[in-house]
Amino acid sequence: MIKGRTSRLLVLAAIWAALIAAPYWMPLFGGYTALGSRVLVLALGAMSVNFLLGFTGTLSFGHAAWFGLGAYGAGFCLKWFALSSPLGLLAGTLLGGIAGTLLGALLVRRRGVYFAMVTIAFGQVFYYIAFQWSSVTGGDDGLRGFSRQPLHLGFTTIDLLNNADAFYYFVLVCFAAAVGLMGFILRSPFGRTMIAIRENERRARFLGIPVELHIWIAFSLSCFFMAFAGALYAELNNFADPRVLHYALSGDFVIMAVMGGMRTFWGPLLGAIVFVVLQDYLSSVTVNWMSFIGILIVLIVLFFPRGILGLIRQRSAA
Amino acid sequence: MVSRIIARPVNRRTILKSAAAAGALQIASPFVISARAADNIKIGLDNPLTGTYAAPGKNEEIGCQLAVDQINAKGGILGRKIELLSEDSTSGDAGAAVQKARKLIERDKIDFLVGNVNSALAQAIAQVSNEKGVLHIVPGGHTDPITGKDCKWNVFRVCNTTRMEANAVSQLLYTKYGKKWHFITPDYAFGHTLYQGCEANLKKLGGTITGNELTPLGITDFSSYLIKARAANPDVLVVLVQGNDMVNCLKQISQFGIDKQIHVAGTQQELEAVEAMPPEARVGVWMFEWYWKQAGANPGLDKFVSEIRKRTGKVPTARTWFGYVTIHAYALACEKAKTIEAKTVAKALGDMELPDDVKCQPNKVYFRGGDHQLMLSAFIGELMSKGDGDPENLFKVNSVVSGDSIAPSVAETGCQMQMPA
Repeated sequence: MIKGRTSRLLVLAAIWAALIAAPYWMPLFGGYTALGSRVLVLALGAMSVNFLLGFTGTLSFGHAAWFGLGAYGAGFCLKWFALSSPLGLLAGTLLGGIAGTLLGALLVRRRGVYFAMVTIAFGQVFYYIAFQWSSVTGGDDGLRGFSRQPLHLGFTTIDLLNNADAFYYFVLVCFAAAVGLMGFILRSPFGRTMIAIRENERRARFLGIPVELHIWIAFSLSCFFMAFAGALYAELNNFADPRVLHYALSGDFVIMAVMGGMRTFWGPLLGAIVFVVLQDYLSSVTVNWMSFIGILIVLIVLFFPRGILGLIRQRSAA
Repeated sequence: MVSRIIARPVNRRTILKSAAAAGALQIASPFVISARAADNIKIGLDNPLTGTYAAPGKNEEIGCQLAVDQINAKGGILGRKIELLSEDSTSGDAGAAVQKARKLIERDKIDFLVGNVNSALAQAIAQVSNEKGVLHIVPGGHTDPITGKDCKWNVFRVCNTTRMEANAVSQLLYTKYGKKWHFITPDYAFGHTLYQGCEANLKKLGGTITGNELTPLGITDFSSYLIKARAANPDVLVVLVQGNDMVNCLKQISQFGIDKQIHVAGTQQELEAVEAMPPEARVGVWMFEWYWKQAGANPGLDKFVSEIRKRTGKVPTARTWFGYVTIHAYALACEKAKTIEAKTVAKALGDMELPDDVKCQPNKVYFRGGDHQLMLSAFIGELMSKGDGDPENLFKVNSVVSGDSIAPSVAETGCQMQMPA
């Protein structure tokens, strides 16, 4: 028998091998590289939501706000300040992350449904600002007129704009860095404390853990990851529109996390793959594609509350 | 986990199960690539089929499909058959629309892109088509910059600009109904540019604005705005909202009896919306971008109307005509250029005049080379509460104004067209 640690490494190797080889095997099944990039970006968003939902037990329904701020931040940077893809990512991450951190201080005093409602409210504030402030954000038309820039590495230059595969690998490297950091945080003592708060908040408080502070830090980290994903999304589409701030998108992220399996690290990635690929495929086949996705979500919530990955784990453990 | 799967002895059931799963995968594989003839010319339609703009999106698709079938029946473009690949862009999600544009261009390798009804989505996908160098016609997104300051060598537009719509009715309303206007404007990009156009025209004519009510998209209760508008006592109430908002607004105008006191008018009106209104709400002076019932004999028009009626049981709307014109214009340009290479076709399409059986209207209709905007006529007239001669004839056309008389000059649009070498 192979030990648990080895098998975990095998699964990890399989995931990364599949992701790295994606531009080569996807076309065989009728996929296309831009779809792969989209899956990765939205998966990173879903994993950020899950960082809070699955590991701290706090449901935010307004996370699209930080995603959207990240997208607008990257857009502003590329349009007005600096023609550089990495700087765009940095600007977006900082804008969304800092805004999330500041507002998070107000949010963490609420729990459960109240927390979720306040996050929606804050999210919609940003949505309407983007919608109304046409002179800066482009209003309903969205922020356009910028595009991702070639990546200068000193010894060579990579054309991210016209080479879809190159951009996919750029996204993959960003995804790997963010996910690696996320995994590192979760394995640290701080990450364990988050899980302790999720399991029993009162007990954690009696143990002397400053619960509010920890939730705030977790929320802020989650916002930074989310904004990073949003900045990547802006560079994927080469524009940002108010819809990336709307709570409907927050709902999509929660659905991806729940569908794939919250409380598992890789679940949201699986959820994002299923959600995005299904959406892409079904919407080409039938105009009633939303009903099918809706039915699938209902079925998963009713019968597999631990999500797809939770189901697989349960099966293999039985 | 993995070790367990590896270590587990393989039994009959496992084999049967995996065989069944493999079989199901063959049928239900998420990406079934249907066999497509390699030498077909592929046209991608990236338009809303769900949401607020589903009805106009569907009508544009019907128009496109009719044109495709007609062209194929005559042997296709340059001897090659054409096929239409349709994708749902959704009504407002620019991310989804862009993704679909990439799917059509990267995976399906289309030669020509059509879309979108929503102005914002049209601008977003124009950026993709430009990046990829694919010829692109916008059938029904009205906002000015598409053929104005954001114009591109590969992007053409069939429907009017908001400025053309404003120009079409301003003079008539001013001379016929009076110089004090009050506006009801949808609070987003399309509404803002349309209002600015009307405002500029009215100022030039010497009229005054008594107020502008900005209404959020999708509201159902217009009473507070209408009361304010009536209190301001204008000569004309100009309604700029669209779609379902238009239906609700006109319903309430007729319930309040405002149409008996003030002249009700607007710029763009669509048959899809008029058919959804109760008879008493069909009031006022409007502009249609194209109308199916026209004075005088026009065999091309009669054929188009009867073909669409045969297919759908309804008359074509302006949206159906947009789709129809888009495909025919592309085919004509390819025949003229004797190639489907995008740059050459784009050059052929600039300044191209449409023949009678395609334009289906009296005036000269042509693409303007300077900004790639189609010069199409405006049909100005009044709504009728009951169909005249035909239940679907709900609009009385008073005049048909040619497109170049209402369009701002190329210099005024702000477009600086740069054709690639």
